[in-house]
Amino acid sequence: MSRLPVAERGTVRRALRDLIGRHRRAVGVVLALHAAAAVAGLAPPWLLGTIVDRVTGGTDVATVDRLALVIGGCVLVSALLSRYAQYAGHRFGERAVAELREEFVHRTLGLPVSVVERAGAGDLATRSSVDVSTVGTTVRDVVPTIVIASVQLALLFGAVFLLHPLLGLAALAGLPSIWAVTRWYLRRASSAYLIEGAASAELTETLTTTAEGARTVEALRLADDRIRHGTTRIAGVWRARRATLALRTVFFTVVEASYPLPIALVLLVGGALLSREMVSLGAVVAAALYLQQAIDPLDRLLQWTEQAQRGFASFARVLGVGLVPPEPPGTVATSRGERLVVREARFSYAGGHDVLHGIDLEVRPGERLAIVGPSGAGKSTLARLLAGIDAPRRGVVSIGGCPVTDLDPAERRRRIALVTQEHHVFIGSVRDNLAFAAPDASDEQMRSALATVGADWYAELPDGLDTPLGDGARQLAAAEAQQLALARLLLADPHTLILDEATAALDPTTARRTERALAAVLVGRTVIAIAHRLNTAHDADRVAVLADGRITEIGSHDELVAAGGAYSALWHSWHRHGDERPLSRKEQPS
Amino acid sequence: MRYLWWLVRRQPWRVLRGSLIGTAWMIGLSVRPYLIARAVDDGLRAGDTRALTFWVAAIVVAGAGLSYLGIMRHRTMTFIREDAKARSAAVVLRQLSRIGAVLPRRVAAGEVATIGGSDIDWSAQVLTLTGPGVGAVVAYAVIAVVLWSISPMLALCVLVGVPVVGLVVGPLLRRLERAESVYRKQQGALTARSGDIVAGLRVLAGVGGRDLFARRYAARSRGLLAEGYRVGAVNSWIDAATVAIPGLFLAAVVWLTARMAVTGDVTIGELVAVYGYVATLIVPVWFLLEGSHQLIRGRVAARRIVALLRLTPDDVGGPRRRGSGKVPDARRPHAAAAPAHPADLHDPVTGLTVPAGRLTGVAADDPAAALALADRLGRYVASEATWGGVPLTGIALDEVRARILVADHDSYLFPGTLRDILLSRTGADDDTRPGSDDDRITAALRAASAEDIVDALPAGLDTPLDARARTLSGGQRQRVRLARALLAEPEVLILVDPTSAVDAHTEARIAERLRAARDGRTTVVLATSPLLLNRTDLVAHLRAGRVVATGAHADLLDEDPGYRHLVARDSADPDAERSADAEKAYP
Repeated sequence: MSRLPVAERGTVRRALRDLIGRHRRAVGVVLALHAAAAVAGLAPPWLLGTIVDRVTGGTDVATVDRLALVIGGCVLVSALLSRYAQYAGHRFGERAVAELREEFVHRTLGLPVSVVERAGAGDLATRSSVDVSTVGTTVRDVVPTIVIASVQLALLFGAVFLLHPLLGLAALAGLPSIWAVTRWYLRRASSAYLIEGAASAELTETLTTTAEGARTVEALRLADDRIRHGTTRIAGVWRARRATLALRTVFFTVVEASYPLPIALVLLVGGALLSREMVSLGAVVAAALYLQQAIDPLDRLLQWTEQAQRGFASFARVLGVGLVPPEPPGTVATSRGERLVVREARFSYAGGHDVLHGIDLEVRPGERLAIVGPSGAGKSTLARLLAGIDAPRRGVVSIGGCPVTDLDPAERRRRIALVTQEHHVFIGSVRDNLAFAAPDASDEQMRSALATVGADWYAELPDGLDTPLGDGARQLAAAEAQQLALARLLLADPHTLILDEATAALDPTTARRTERALAAVLVGRTVIAIAHRLNTAHDADRVAVLADGRITEIGSHDELVAAGGAYSALWHSWHRHGDERPLSRKEQPS
Repeated sequence: MRYLWWLVRRQPWRVLRGSLIGTAWMIGLSVRPYLIARAVDDGLRAGDTRALTFWVAAIVVAGAGLSYLGIMRHRTMTFIREDAKARSAAVVLRQLSRIGAVLPRRVAAGEVATIGGSDIDWSAQVLTLTGPGVGAVVAYAVIAVVLWSISPMLALCVLVGVPVVGLVVGPLLRRLERAESVYRKQQGALTARSGDIVAGLRVLAGVGGRDLFARRYAARSRGLLAEGYRVGAVNSWIDAATVAIPGLFLAAVVWLTARMAVTGDVTIGELVAVYGYVATLIVPVWFLLEGSHQLIRGRVAARRIVALLRLTPDDVGGPRRRGSGKVPDARRPHAAAAPAHPADLHDPVTGLTVPAGRLTGVAADDPAAALALADRLGRYVASEATWGGVPLTGIALDEVRARILVADHDSYLFPGTLRDILLSRTGADDDTRPGSDDDRITAALRAASAEDIVDALPAGLDTPLDARARTLSGGQRQRVRLARALLAEPEVLILVDPTSAVDAHTEARIAERLRAARDGRTTVVLATSPLLLNRTDLVAHLRAGRVVATGAHADLLDEDPGYRHLVARDSADPDAERSADAEKAYP
């Protein structure tokens, strides 16, 4: 398994710069509004200081009234400004997130299937769910919080400097310990919280799987085993939580003990300056209040930095998907003819030994070819080569004289369709699930396609083609889902169909229903069927037996039965009472 | 509510400590404004450097003390919550593991995910009330007393005003949360879409339609963007209000106090202190508001947990193992004695008799009838089935489970290494069986013709597989299930469609080896595959829920045309097959 790439720090920084560059004006407006709001927010402590000075100097009630009114006005102005700042920031965040997720899905859809399969669908699924939404939260919530807090802090400390530079220096003196402990904390926090998250996810998984498999738990008497398993998980969660708690213990203790340091220093320095009459009492009081006020944004900044770090890591993984070269567009738009020819094809997975050793095969248009053989013989690999999903390591797979991998992917999919036991019902209406294979199909065509494949459940749908499917809406049973996939195939109308055990994952009754539906789809097409049911082979024009990556027998059913080889033996044991132990040759698998 | 109380009672000392520290911390919060006020009044204003130094030192010490109290509060409360979570998880786990087959019918899997994912957390969150919740009430009272000593009028304004501000802002915040949750739900739906695309990528690669999906996703993303703008517009107003309202209140208090300072009713230091007290008083009021919200949510969560804990297993008749609730007690006094030695199973509904020590095939024209038969023989439902003449329903359930295994074709594969999956039953059983684990695994894998699966996995038996072994193909999963059932080595093994997803070559091999692996032990195979039935000692043909013929596979093929049609699936007459299939498909 080769994992999908992760973008390097430089790439992530460049992407961030591009993002900000694209929205230069919006970002500027947001910053300016936040700064203005913060300035308005600075006024109340300063005004309180003024009140203190006036009262000390002896003043009348009217002055106090006026100053108090100004404080109220400043609060209102600050709130109003921060509202618009927040709204502008929110809009920017939303737009940026939308761009990122659309870009991600666009890239994902362009990934070559072979890359996704090699990386495992899980990796991509995690990126599409966890990472994209982590980046979303970061851009929407975390970054604005950090920006606001930074602006506020800069202004608060700036204001203390304005009151008197020495007071400002005193205020900064409390910060080194906070800076040091934050560095210490950030270096450890992300991984510790990731472990914590993973531990609780594992516990939840244990609970849900135990519930899903309850009958199996009872049948195999796994109760004690499940409890033991779950208890380990609970202990794991406890351990992970203790680890993060230990980090927080150090971090918060130091940080919170550091908060009063600037206040204390400002008061001391203020006292000294006051005795030399270099500042007013009000200025010192205002400085102390500013620093008290700075605790809140500082707190927010420190708490969200860890989140921002995680967002950065997720962003790197999201961008990584864009680093995979997209599926090549193909060099040939169309090909003449429908004849599939395989010459001397060899194939190996990711540098391993060959799975196919020189396959030669010709499929005539309109022919039905069945491929049979034991598991691991390379049947599915051959199907993938025929469908053009993988290219042979050596040799060639061509259609109408043109190598299938040179065909434009869209064109190739229109001509050759691969049907596997995997079926997926997309979230959306029945129409959505059919239309993507044939955008021009009319409702009438869709209904008749559904009828052809025997999807009689369609009649019971409340809203016909508009009935929503999947994800909380109507769930289709496996056979129904397979029928839907087959109706889609009918609409796509490819001239060649490759069936890779299309019904193997279904229970026997449903498999039979599906096979009947399949028969309707096969009419008038070239069909290559990988079959584990021998009656499929019996009905085919020709049968190819694949063993250990080679075609060992090929011919019509009757020819092969007459030839008395492995196929013949298998057929007899399947079809007739077989006391003659025809399978003795198979007893010793190589 | 009783459940929440139980969570508290399990850790009385820790909760007590939480309350004390929580109270001390809350009160400590109001110390700093007092100290700053003293530093201003006694030190700065009076120009007394020694007093100033003293009060500044007090500020630093109090800060250190407060940070200690703060972290101790956080630690204690975290331990209280974690203890509650672990305890809830343990009882839920125990219940889920013990309740058995009935569970999927009574509770949706999503419900369990909700309980495990959030209900346990929410109910534990309520316990926060025991610490800062208690502290908030006490701190509120203390600040009231202090303010009263400065000015009774001011005290009344603040003590009434702060809760009013809290009550006004609280619901606003709740609205904010609601608006956000609507947005998040839509965002979740969009995430589900992209997950959907990832999951269906192979289908899209197979038949095309990528552009359409990209366009459709983009359209939905734009929809969410518009919704986000709307939410943002509302939220930013609410946000501004939650800042402005307390700010205006603070301004009003400052104004009142300043007027008093002018007339000399309060000192300058007291003016600064009042400003500080009002700011600190917000904290306990917040805790109380938050706490009431947590209590509401936590009670709903606790109710869901209790509902799950109250579930009882289906009545399958007769004695069960539960009762004392502790160690399974198989031989309850009134349980009928199970046959001491392998004995025949008999099912009166179908008229089937399973001879002890033989490999019996059951070919049913209706798969539902076969499943119902397996349920009766395995005692998943109350029935008249007998075992060695003793009614199965009268035997202790635990003993039935220990000796008779029904292996469903869709039985669940738990996440873990392949070795864990295969050996899952061993720990609980007797260990008298010969051979090491690995030898037995090898033998079972060979019997299930599953060696190639292990060979293909990167770390062999030690390769971790996810739930339901989704990375394996349908045929591979089926063979793993078969190997697991064989490894359990039950006295009676009932296999439901064990080879429906494997190719003919492999099926033939399994049929042969299964026979050898279960030699001399009672085994029932419910299937219609001729390759499997060919290797059985005896086949019963089940038609319309009754046994219509019994005999060797070969004899039945010759003598019973219905059987012949069912298993051989003779394609010489496709029309006949089609109509017969139609009957089966729509019973």
